[in-house]
Amino acid sequence: MSVLRREGIDVPVLCHHEAIEPCGSCRLCTVEITKDGWGGWKRHVTSCLYPAEEGLVVVTHSPELIEIRRNILDLYLARCPQSEVIQKMAEEYGLYKTSYETIPDGDNCIMCYACTRICEVLGKSAISAVMRGHKKVIAPPFGEQPPDCIGCLSCAHICPTDVIAWKDDDGCRTIWNKPFELISCSRCGKKTITREFADYLIGKRNLPRDYFTVCDDCKRQDLALKMGALVDRAKEVAI
Amino acid sequence: MMTHRFEVIPSLCIGCRTCELACAFTHTKNQKPGRSRIYPIAYAPDKYVPVACLQCDDPACVKSCLFDALKRNETTGAVELNADRCVKCMACVAACPFGCALVDDGHDEIVKCDLCGGNPACAQFCPTKALVYKRIA
Repeated sequence: MSVLRREGIDVPVLCHHEAIEPCGSCRLCTVEITKDGWGGWKRHVTSCLYPAEEGLVVVTHSPELIEIRRNILDLYLARCPQSEVIQKMAEEYGLYKTSYETIPDGDNCIMCYACTRICEVLGKSAISAVMRGHKKVIAPPFGEQPPDCIGCLSCAHICPTDVIAWKDDDGCRTIWNKPFELISCSRCGKKTITREFADYLIGKRNLPRDYFTVCDDCKRQDLALKMGALVDRAKEVAI
Repeated sequence: MMTHRFEVIPSLCIGCRTCELACAFTHTKNQKPGRSRIYPIAYAPDKYVPVACLQCDDPACVKSCLFDALKRNETTGAVELNADRCVKCMACVAACPFGCALVDDGHDEIVKCDLCGGNPACAQFCPTKALVYKRIA
């Protein structure tokens, strides 16, 4: 996948993000590989997981592969009929309507685990997959407010189908049903990140607490004032 | 190896905001100009300081990024944001003590000055040479 991307070769993908380890769950990046010594044998592999090597012949678009992707998208379309990303992708492959029965109260989640993986990278693992089989969903432990969640919205932003609901309302952020207080700029009142997230960053990366009390606009103004004072002083000295 | 240095000389700035335009148009994507990474801010009537990322030695943005999306480019000396690794958690925006990591609402991404990869457009367009990209070695 990284080699294909570097060379500017387009392969459809939903579950891939540079910040997380690939896990090959969406199956859309399936490509056909073969090698000189394989005696004409071919394999279908997910390009995100298969390591590139010298002499590997990779086919990214063939009638067979397009059919495979069409089938996958057909299933996704049945599972997530409301998802615009899936609809758009399916249209590219000539699919406008699923041939399967759609899930009436589907939540658009494609079970790619991008959200749980990013939360793991963050060092929190506040959410995970619960239940088995067709009942499997991504949720906080016991369906309650996740104790480890810090309201950073990484999971919501990384989600390819934008399933994870959150809202910022009057200085209060709600995600996974857990309310968070947003830090207000001590001068202009602009809302920045959640208090829990700031505390986590301060503790983990050893950052001074006062970096987080003022918003970016006020901090830029401060910098201009400080630099301006230096300029004026330099001028006085010169005179 | 750094060969150039970006210099800001506030006493020469007249607040014409040409740098803002140059920056926004340089970072045009999908026929839409990006958010400017540089702002001339008035600190007194008719006195301006062009505020852009200071490319700190020990950057708070790099420290705050939990996904290693921010990295220093050793050739230009600029701290660059790898948009592919960014998940828009806003940690850098909140952490930067100078408020120079910005949110580009139009393109829905985080942006910061990357010195245009080694040839800042703002310095080329600055009419009073308040912004210069100077050779140091």
